[in-house]
Amino acid sequence: MNPVNISLLVFMIGLYGVMSKNNLIKKIMGLTIMNGSIVLFFISIGYRKGGLAPILEKGTTGGIPTTIFVDPLPQALMLTAIVIGISVTALALAMIVKIYSKYKTLDIQQLSKER
Amino acid sequence: MSIHIPILIIISPLLAAFLVLLTRKYKIVLATGSIIISIVFTLTLSSRVLSSDKITYHLGGWRGPLGISLVIDGLSFFFSLIALGLGLLVIIYSIPEKRYGRTYYFLLLVSLSSMIGVIYTADIFNMYVFYELLSLTMYLLIAYPKTGVTLRASFNYLIMGGVGLSFFLLGVGFLYAMTGTLDIFHIAEKLPAVFNSSTRMVLMSFVLIATGMGIKIAVFPLHGWLPDAHSMAPSPVSALLSGVTVKIGIYCLIRVVYTVFSAEMFFLINSHNILMVLGVVSLLFGASMALAQKDLKRLLAYSTINQLGIVLIGLGIGTELGLTGALFHILNHAIMKSTLFFCAGIMIAETGTREVQGLNGFGRQQPVITFAFIIASLGMIGIPPINGFTSKWLICLAAVEAGYVVLVAIILMASAIAAAYYFRVIQVLLSVPLKQDPMSGHEGEQMIHRGNLFRSWPIYILAAGCLLLGLLPTLGISLVKPAVSFLLSHAAP
Repeated sequence: MNPVNISLLVFMIGLYGVMSKNNLIKKIMGLTIMNGSIVLFFISIGYRKGGLAPILEKGTTGGIPTTIFVDPLPQALMLTAIVIGISVTALALAMIVKIYSKYKTLDIQQLSKER
Repeated sequence: MSIHIPILIIISPLLAAFLVLLTRKYKIVLATGSIIISIVFTLTLSSRVLSSDKITYHLGGWRGPLGISLVIDGLSFFFSLIALGLGLLVIIYSIPEKRYGRTYYFLLLVSLSSMIGVIYTADIFNMYVFYELLSLTMYLLIAYPKTGVTLRASFNYLIMGGVGLSFFLLGVGFLYAMTGTLDIFHIAEKLPAVFNSSTRMVLMSFVLIATGMGIKIAVFPLHGWLPDAHSMAPSPVSALLSGVTVKIGIYCLIRVVYTVFSAEMFFLINSHNILMVLGVVSLLFGASMALAQKDLKRLLAYSTINQLGIVLIGLGIGTELGLTGALFHILNHAIMKSTLFFCAGIMIAETGTREVQGLNGFGRQQPVITFAFIIASLGMIGIPPINGFTSKWLICLAAVEAGYVVLVAIILMASAIAAAYYFRVIQVLLSVPLKQDPMSGHEGEQMIHRGNLFRSWPIYILAAGCLLLGLLPTLGISLVKPAVSFLLSHAAP
């Protein structure tokens, strides 16, 4: 089983969590798991077995073939994606605090009954 | 200086957003000023774009597949004009409301700037980042009144939107794995080469991106968040959501369907059929749900699903006529729906109720606002002298040309249902008030007399726009033309 398949599996687990759980916190946990699986997916795209860090020194660029380097772009992308994921989670948790103080429940079934 | 205009259009509202947080007095001047600057900058590019030229700006001077570039072509120019124009009117409309503090304008400006970012960027990951920023500010704007209902609506949207954007990002990951680049135009060049060897991955990425954007556009099975979010948000925000934010999702879908997955793939993976079926389903669903609503803003929200269905049908047909109709309908819907939400905001503020039945006799108190409402709703139905008619007519013509006569029947049926629910509202508006209560009516009038100017002028401008585009449809079509020719030139190399 390669890392791409594992990350897709984890993605599905996260999706299941978001869709089927009634508790708002658990929904957010599902969202975070989805985000994590995407990070795993991107990193495994850029992975090369035994690859080096992609740092080129001046003057020595000629001889080294680029195939032995790990692809740096997905890693840079994922740093951004992690930051975005954290800000979404923070906003969602702040909203959950507000919702709890208004309704005294976090169950989505009970929340949808309230008007 | 003139080379840097594309990035200045994005930066000007973003800079103003952070300056707004520092001042209490000049927040409105700053907000309107920065948007006007952006509009002026955009208009200076108009002559080059309308002569079907493509303006490319490399951020930081990094070219090609490595760097991020901003691209302004007919399509992005068209969408950015809609976003900036309506954004300006939304800011003007929210001036009289004293509840909206500095953070409100901050969020509004950040959301507008990130919209322009989504529209202009040619880097698909950058598109995701801007889209996530736009969504974050939108969640906050919906929850701005901090009442229980708005918080719940916003949270729903956050969950759905988060899932949608995760799908989008995963699709981007598949595209990157196949092509090794993130630039939209480079992906489009490299995809046909890998199509035969990895058909499934191409399909997978298309499905993921289309599903993600489908959640943002609220096509029928994925629409769950829209009625709550659009109806519970403050009225200017509803207008922004329904008029512009949803259109950004459509823009991304068009970019992905027509530019990234170019011509052959468009027919190989049958995406036109998918779009058409989704369009028909959400058209019928939106129309029939709107018929059942008692709440005015909820009715308008379901009507959005209905109209977006028509746009999707036009996109799915995919001929020149169909695309022209679809893009023109996007413009028309943006104008009409924000008119309706602006009017609904005044109606709710004056009558103090959200129910359609509570609007009894409003037509006598505020004849001009009611007139604007009637114009816009007639346009929604598609009555000839108003703009909605032309675009629906173009889409129907395209459907007949392409041999889908059934679609015409469906669109006409949905228009009849739309007539049923809009005429119900108009009838209530024009009827005689049930209970004569002169005291409260008088008070209400005085209460909103202040600042009425700022509230009503955006409505007049938009209603005049509806009539203008209805009487002179060539005006709108000439704006749409470069976008269509750009799409078709890319779709058939």
